[in-house]
Amino acid sequence: MNKKHAFTRRDFLRMTGAVGGALAVGAIPALEVGAAPPPRRSAQATETVNVLTVGDPWDLALQTVTEQFTEETGIEVKIESLGYVALQARLVNAFLTKTADADVVAVDQMWISQYADNGWIRSLDDYIKADSDTEIDDFLPEVLYSLSTWRGSMWTLPIAAYAQGIMYRTDLFEEAGLDPLPASTADAEDWTWEQYFDMVADLNGMEMGGEEFFGTVVIGAQPVPIVHMFTQLSARYGTRWFENFPEAPWDFTPTINSPENVAALTDWKKLYEMAPPESINYLWFDAGTRFSQGDIGMFFHWTPYFYLVNNEGYLSGKPSPVVDKFKTAVLPTLAADGPQVVSLGGWSLGMPSTSANQDAAWQFIKWATGADGQKAMGLADTKGYQFADFGRKSLYEDASLRKIYPFLDTQMEMMVLGDGKVVRPPMPIYTSLEAVYGLQINEAMSGAATPEAALETTDMLFNNILTGNQMIPYNIESYDDTLENTVALIEELSA
Amino acid sequence: MPRLLSTKTVPYLLLAPSLIVLLSLVLYPMGFALINSFRFWNLQTSPTPVSFVGFDNYKMVFTTTPFLAALKNTVVLSVLATCAQFCLGMGIALLLYTNLRGMSVVRALLIMPVSVAPIVVGFLFRYLFAPEGGLLIWLLKGVGFPVPPQGMLGNANTALLSIGMADTWEWTPFFAIVLYAALLNSPQEIIDAARSDGANKLSMLWYIFLPMVKPIAAFLIMIRFMQLFNSFDLVYVLTGGGPGTASRTLSFNLYQEGLVNYNIGLTAAMTWIIVIIVAVIINIYTMVVFRGQEW
Repeated sequence: MNKKHAFTRRDFLRMTGAVGGALAVGAIPALEVGAAPPPRRSAQATETVNVLTVGDPWDLALQTVTEQFTEETGIEVKIESLGYVALQARLVNAFLTKTADADVVAVDQMWISQYADNGWIRSLDDYIKADSDTEIDDFLPEVLYSLSTWRGSMWTLPIAAYAQGIMYRTDLFEEAGLDPLPASTADAEDWTWEQYFDMVADLNGMEMGGEEFFGTVVIGAQPVPIVHMFTQLSARYGTRWFENFPEAPWDFTPTINSPENVAALTDWKKLYEMAPPESINYLWFDAGTRFSQGDIGMFFHWTPYFYLVNNEGYLSGKPSPVVDKFKTAVLPTLAADGPQVVSLGGWSLGMPSTSANQDAAWQFIKWATGADGQKAMGLADTKGYQFADFGRKSLYEDASLRKIYPFLDTQMEMMVLGDGKVVRPPMPIYTSLEAVYGLQINEAMSGAATPEAALETTDMLFNNILTGNQMIPYNIESYDDTLENTVALIEELSA
Repeated sequence: MPRLLSTKTVPYLLLAPSLIVLLSLVLYPMGFALINSFRFWNLQTSPTPVSFVGFDNYKMVFTTTPFLAALKNTVVLSVLATCAQFCLGMGIALLLYTNLRGMSVVRALLIMPVSVAPIVVGFLFRYLFAPEGGLLIWLLKGVGFPVPPQGMLGNANTALLSIGMADTWEWTPFFAIVLYAALLNSPQEIIDAARSDGANKLSMLWYIFLPMVKPIAAFLIMIRFMQLFNSFDLVYVLTGGGPGTASRTLSFNLYQEGLVNYNIGLTAAMTWIIVIIVAVIINIYTMVVFRGQEW
């Protein structure tokens, strides 16, 4: 070989070193970390609040109405919206480096324990106590319990609360000779999952107007989206993730591989067989969009889709072909007149410990989560009406909102039956567990594993993760995290 | 000349800036990762390292994450996509070398896919692979390829293949352009001599063109293999590593543990395992390819 073409040892070492370095750098947090500073509540003179949010429908509505807040208070608001993972990465980086990146941050219910335990966000208890116009007792206790409380404190206030419910095609039901579904639990004493499956089967393969219908659609993408939908089904079968949580004493020994969950996963596969095959890769909005495009008979989903499916595409603003052809209904129970557990999730606003404008930040949180701010968001017509995710009781009684969002009664009933700490328990390493759980459900769905094998693997992985993360045995003080204790906290804060 | 600037010390002084940069940007992070790999440090539970846990993180890489599935997918993707890109790139380079009419336009167009960000390529191929109306699906069905009902991205047997196809679309032109440049630099007299000796096209390829581009090709293959070994963008956009673990790669595994689960100790351990695997593969490759040569 010509010497000038020779690949030298030095070249090789340089190259492998660079590759190794690149791999290593990707895995390492860049800066030293430390405990968050102690809470302080000093009034800062600046009149701008920086808000970091997630690109969900509520964010669009919030951005539309923040001018009202500025007019009322003189405080400017700068909102930056990020994707889900990007938001969490940005927040964690800011918290670790103690950077005052934002004064108000959107917090997923699953991040509360992490942010609170690490001292990254401030407890709002003192603010709420000091300002009676927070009207904390106007919030549905189930919403505060699921989205905002951790170890007996209120860390955030809900900006968008989601329960789950059913959407179904009324025209197809009529064609199939099926009775309308119950919009209220009062009419749903014999409304069971068995009936739900039978109806999906009846609708599957039906033809109407020259179009063939799928019985339903599922959210199949792993790892996170699939968990959001599957856990609603599995919770109703009686599945619990752990031996004892959220009630004290906490025992995180997994109970995920139970006969109830095997039954749920087996039925999940049956649902998938009556859904578009490509829905194994569907994200949340893919499933909603598929329904709104008109070839799905019925499905269950987060309640924001009660209004989102009016759009042809996700937040497109173009009317979908199913407008006026669908209705909403309450979720069924396992047995007639049986108990109900509804998944309750959503977003809330919190205040980073590092915020330099704490008073202004609190003013914004109070306004955006308050009845006036939330109503303004609900009435904002941005590519259609795109916000009905209320956590406050009073808004469900509001005539102008009820006119725009006729499903509010159904939604509120689902909220009241909601439990965001059982269906997807927000314990400190939830996201690690969700990642393997979603993967295994997806494996079962694809046929790569049987439901029994998938859940056995999930149980083994849960055990390994929980043990490796020092959650089994759990040697930290537990908290009796019940709805009753949240109700007591609300009373204490509103006294 | 002052003693400090003697002929012995000057080379070291000149090398010092590079060494400092190398040490701070490569060795320090790697050393920091090595230390963290022996600590229990999960940002979901604590902002600071909690305790020394020995090799527990290394054990957890295999017992709590689909590491072996990701390794298998990564190797399959890297090997097959590199081979495909080299073969197609060599073919295109030879076509360009023939100086057919319009090749100058082709050369200009060829660079375009390489200049597109992988994340954009991912979105592009999401549309091309759309089960209903996707152009590639239509073409694949047209040539009799059994497109699964879940679509190419939703089926465990075709998800990784689809990622490889998108990567091949983007990077084959890079091979073509560089190999074409290597062909242009080849001594014309050798090619003419072979032709006058009556060598057929296959002989020309095997005995003349391939040996002439071998030094460049060997380097290109190694670079692309290492890039593919770090595949993330396309996986993230096209399949999210699914269905199941069918298209999960090592980099996606790192992302999941580092930026979603925030398990710093576990991620550091996984990083080191990957560094060792890459080093072993590259060493074997260089030993085989550059056997008997000074390098």
